[in-house]
Amino acid sequence: MKITVRAFADYREIIGKEMELIEPEGKTIGELLAGLGDRYPKLRGEMFTPAEELKEFINIFINGRNIAFLNDMATPLSDGDIIALFPPVAGG
Amino acid sequence: MAEYRIDRYQRQITLLGEEGQERLRHARVLVAGVGGLGTIVAADLAAAGVGLLRLADNDRVELSNLNRQLIFRTDDIGREKSVAAMERLHLLNPDIQVEGISQTIDDETINELAKDIDLIVDAMDNFAARFILNKAAFSRRLPLIHGAVRGFFGQATTLIPGNTGCLQCLFAGNPPGEIVPVIGATCGVIGSIQATETIKVLTGRGKPLANRLFFWDGQAGEGTVITAKRNPHCIICGDGRSDG
Repeated sequence: MKITVRAFADYREIIGKEMELIEPEGKTIGELLAGLGDRYPKLRGEMFTPAEELKEFINIFINGRNIAFLNDMATPLSDGDIIALFPPVAGG
Repeated sequence: MAEYRIDRYQRQITLLGEEGQERLRHARVLVAGVGGLGTIVAADLAAAGVGLLRLADNDRVELSNLNRQLIFRTDDIGREKSVAAMERLHLLNPDIQVEGISQTIDDETINELAKDIDLIVDAMDNFAARFILNKAAFSRRLPLIHGAVRGFFGQATTLIPGNTGCLQCLFAGNPPGEIVPVIGATCGVIGSIQATETIKVLTGRGKPLANRLFFWDGQAGEGTVITAKRNPHCIICGDGRSDG
């Protein structure tokens, strides 16, 4: 299974612009992010609360869909998925 | 077309044709929010000859606005933004109509604000207000041009009822209010993209940022387009079912 993770803004600073994970840890987006958090403790600090919950309002898209409207952190991964991580941008 | 219009819009008539220019002249656009984004979008659209611009904002000009809200001057401080902007844009282009409305956008006021409008530009500073615009745009089947900024970062997408999802398909919740750090140039990038999208949609030129989200990373010096799909179960534009 191959998953592509594209990171933007602050997350890009930590993990780089894009990475391909050939055998990602876990079968869900939550498990994949936990695995990335282990590899990049700074990313874990940016994305998760001390109670290990995903911080609110972070945008995680899988193939163009926000996981908030799928199964959230339990959203399953499939071969070829493209994941985009970007922070809330709300100013005008 | 009148001679003075051919002169004024010469550089873009070459691109859009007289027909495209006439489409702009007959268009009526609501610019919701006259802040960092709204001032850029409104100035671009006024100069381009969009026939009617309705500018809605309830704030007054503050000193700290002037790093990015380029149409205001230091002696505008304390004045209503919508009125100061209306005056300035009228001086920029007396050939168009500009309405300045000092009103907060809510579920009630949006009805009058969106009346007889062809397209809405989202230049708000919070998602609660953006979702009000989104609902109004999709119930009236009007295109909505979304933009948002923070720091060196910004995003923009074009939402077209019947063709794309809506803002509520893409974003969940309303991030808490804050004094948003931003340089004026970030507003310039995103505001200009919103103005470009508006002109494209109104004239039918080019390929709109539909089903795609443009993300600007000024820190890295790079813009990226990511796929942004409709949620078939969306509470605004889908069937409203919550079973994911």
